[in-house]
Amino acid sequence: MTADQSPAAPAAGPILRLDDLGVVFTTQSGEVPAVSGVSLSVDPGETLALVGESGSGKSTVALAAMGLLAGNARATGSATVAGTEVIGAGETALAGLRGRTVSMVFQEPATALDPLTRVGKQIAEVLRNHRDISAKDAAAQAVELLRRVGIPEPDKRASAYPFQLSGGQRQRVVIAMAIANEPALLIADEPTTALDVTVQAEILDLLRRLAAETGTGVLLVTHNMGVVADFADRVAVMYHGEIVETGPVEDVLLRPSHEYTRRLLAAVPRLSVAGEDVPETAPAAASSAPAQAEPVVELDDVSVVFGRGRGAVRALDGVSLTVRHGETLGLVGESGSGKSTASRVALGLIRPTQGTVSLFGTDLARTRSRARRALRSGIGVVLQDPVASLDARMTVGECVAEPLRVHRRALSARDRQKRVAAVLDRVRLPRDVARRAPRELSGGQRQRVSLARALVLEPRLLVADEPTSALDVSVQEAVLDVISELQAELGFACLFVSHDLAVVQHFAQRVVVMRAGRVEEQGDTGTTLLRPETDYTRRLLAAVPVPDPVVQRSRRAERLTTLAAGRTEATA
Amino acid sequence: MSTPTYLIRRALQALAVILIVTIVVFALLHALPGGPARGILGPQATAQQIAAFDHEQGLDKPLPVQYLYYLGQLAHGDLGTSYTLNEPVSQLITERLPKTLLLTVLSAIAGLLLAVPLGMWQAVRRNKPVDYVITTLSFIAYSTPVYFLGLILVLVFSQALPWFPSQAPQGHTLGQVLSDPQGLVLPIAAGAASMVAVFSRYMRAATLENLSEDYVRTARAGGSRSRAILWRHVFRNSLTPVVAMLGYYVPVLFGGALVVEQLFNYPGMGLLFWTAAQSSDYPVLLGCVLIISVATVTGTLIADIVQRIIDPRVKAGRA
Repeated sequence: MTADQSPAAPAAGPILRLDDLGVVFTTQSGEVPAVSGVSLSVDPGETLALVGESGSGKSTVALAAMGLLAGNARATGSATVAGTEVIGAGETALAGLRGRTVSMVFQEPATALDPLTRVGKQIAEVLRNHRDISAKDAAAQAVELLRRVGIPEPDKRASAYPFQLSGGQRQRVVIAMAIANEPALLIADEPTTALDVTVQAEILDLLRRLAAETGTGVLLVTHNMGVVADFADRVAVMYHGEIVETGPVEDVLLRPSHEYTRRLLAAVPRLSVAGEDVPETAPAAASSAPAQAEPVVELDDVSVVFGRGRGAVRALDGVSLTVRHGETLGLVGESGSGKSTASRVALGLIRPTQGTVSLFGTDLARTRSRARRALRSGIGVVLQDPVASLDARMTVGECVAEPLRVHRRALSARDRQKRVAAVLDRVRLPRDVARRAPRELSGGQRQRVSLARALVLEPRLLVADEPTSALDVSVQEAVLDVISELQAELGFACLFVSHDLAVVQHFAQRVVVMRAGRVEEQGDTGTTLLRPETDYTRRLLAAVPVPDPVVQRSRRAERLTTLAAGRTEATA
Repeated sequence: MSTPTYLIRRALQALAVILIVTIVVFALLHALPGGPARGILGPQATAQQIAAFDHEQGLDKPLPVQYLYYLGQLAHGDLGTSYTLNEPVSQLITERLPKTLLLTVLSAIAGLLLAVPLGMWQAVRRNKPVDYVITTLSFIAYSTPVYFLGLILVLVFSQALPWFPSQAPQGHTLGQVLSDPQGLVLPIAAGAASMVAVFSRYMRAATLENLSEDYVRTARAGGSRSRAILWRHVFRNSLTPVVAMLGYYVPVLFGGALVVEQLFNYPGMGLLFWTAAQSSDYPVLLGCVLIISVATVTGTLIADIVQRIIDPRVKAGRA
């Protein structure tokens, strides 16, 4: 890539400047202001993180800067990229800017690429949008870009379709498209939210390296304070469509001046690291739960194989784990490690190909349908998606009452209502939500409704599969608090599936680390997640960014040294 | 699944489907009251005459026996002989099928060529006057019976404006039919109308869905213009569901041909089927239904294969 192709960025001044930016959405219920009075700037070579919870307007700001707002949005104020006004610009002006001067990396690599077009061709399209080069040259450059973003065998991968790549590789392709014309400004909207921590760390390293190589300014939109600490030079905090605090990353994360920033940071679960003072937030319930209480669910040497013949997939391979009365067992691992499959085996939803599952001391394989149903009434389930896991056609009260209708048929309608009201009290929801539809509630409230439904039969086991990963940190904290309190009160065992090691460290007494369908290691959270025995767990922990820029800087250096050492060892 | 395995599997499935269709149709036809003898011998026929006819045609044997006999003949390519026309059914069908295929295939092509761009245009101009006008016309075209629509076409474009003949070309061979392309215009228009209506709706919905996909935003963020995105990305992605629907639309097309041929006096399968149905000519009816079911099954098979070609995920079993 020669010098004349680098964008004509003005020598001085910010590459992105927002002045009193406002965005209003026109909806059926009228005009909804999403963003107002936002002013910020990004200098060349600088990374500004725009943080906030969902609905704070941070993504809207990013899209406005690209001129990519939805059709029902109206932007006011000014947004200039390299001196060119974006607000009110026509398609020709915007198309000339996008992909050349300013590029964007999106949150969801699974859907960000055209499923029917080969990835090399999609990268070539961005090149040819802005440069007068032949299809052949563009294809060759696309391969080169794939190599730059760290895709192995780029010449072969260029002719792959997106579905043939992993999530991390797809995100690398999106990044390759974004840097194809060496933009002066890169806008990254939650670029690593959909990825595993280890992949997240690699993608952040990649973005950091590319930005440093070309002096690109970065606007990083994220809700993850660890990512902010890892990547950003400056931080702007958004709340209800406005910026409440802007400053250098050390100031904002370590000495926040605004009340909201303080609250937000307090709610972020922090991964405790060996050598640090082990904080008092470490799970205390371990002491209250008898160490050798009766097992509530026990998986013994369980294997699960999906499919047959050559296409068969071994999802679980000799997994043994036990959840005891009153304790919380955290099940962690990267996507595809088998943690959700294991939880479904525990629920009796997947029959193990090999091994035994005992629920409340009874072997599930030996039970008949009626007895099995009775056993199942002793389990409550909370799933990840607060929208999809509640029937939109039922009221909240009906949703919560459904397990009673199935398993407690003798109960009168009046008693049922009483039980529903009581369990809504327990999850700290007002009783009148029973008459409302799930869609009228917020994500956190809906997840509490799921919890109420799971607990209405007073189960002995609660299976929670990523119950808070769709929620904002402040809401996550409230939901986890409710679960802990009820567990202390009702004494149920909890199988807690999560990819978030910090949350597991705070919430679970014991942890099982899974990898590729096997149990990599297990033990008390305090031990296993502070002084892990296996390299895998160590790598997993090292990849978690902590929301302290000073600590994170040294963690990153340490991780990269370890990785480099591992590499030389491997080649030696 | 590799392509040969896939094709063999699908072909076997297709055979099974056709077999089931023949059983169902055979049973239904024979369950009808009256029977063919009354229709052929006339209202004056005595009970003995009817019994003699039934015996001669094997109609007094138990149904399963009749069916097996029919299948046995079918295996030898013998579809039986028409009761009324005294000609082998296979010959009747070979004579007329090409003409019907010509009519339906041309209607389908004309319909799609109009429907796909119309649907995309509507999606791009969603909730603008153009969209409303086309939507209204679609609903009218869809809800008007083909027969009525055909009559209107004749009244307007043949009677009021003498542009096209009101009768389809009458030749026996394809060549003769094709030598009078003017005469084909109105039958094709009548046959394609509902197709345009239905498929422009599908295409509109599919295009709208794809326009709101993330990959469109990615392409815009890379500096591609709306028009380029529409044709390079959205068009192909929207076509996949439409192609899938096309296979299921084959029987509807044949059903349309039934009416169109009758209306424009076009000597194809539809007209044959129509006359056979009126005179309970079992062998002809069965033969026609068999051909239509083969056409339908082949249509879906082709649609699935085309989908495999358009969408690499289908072949990989990921979609």
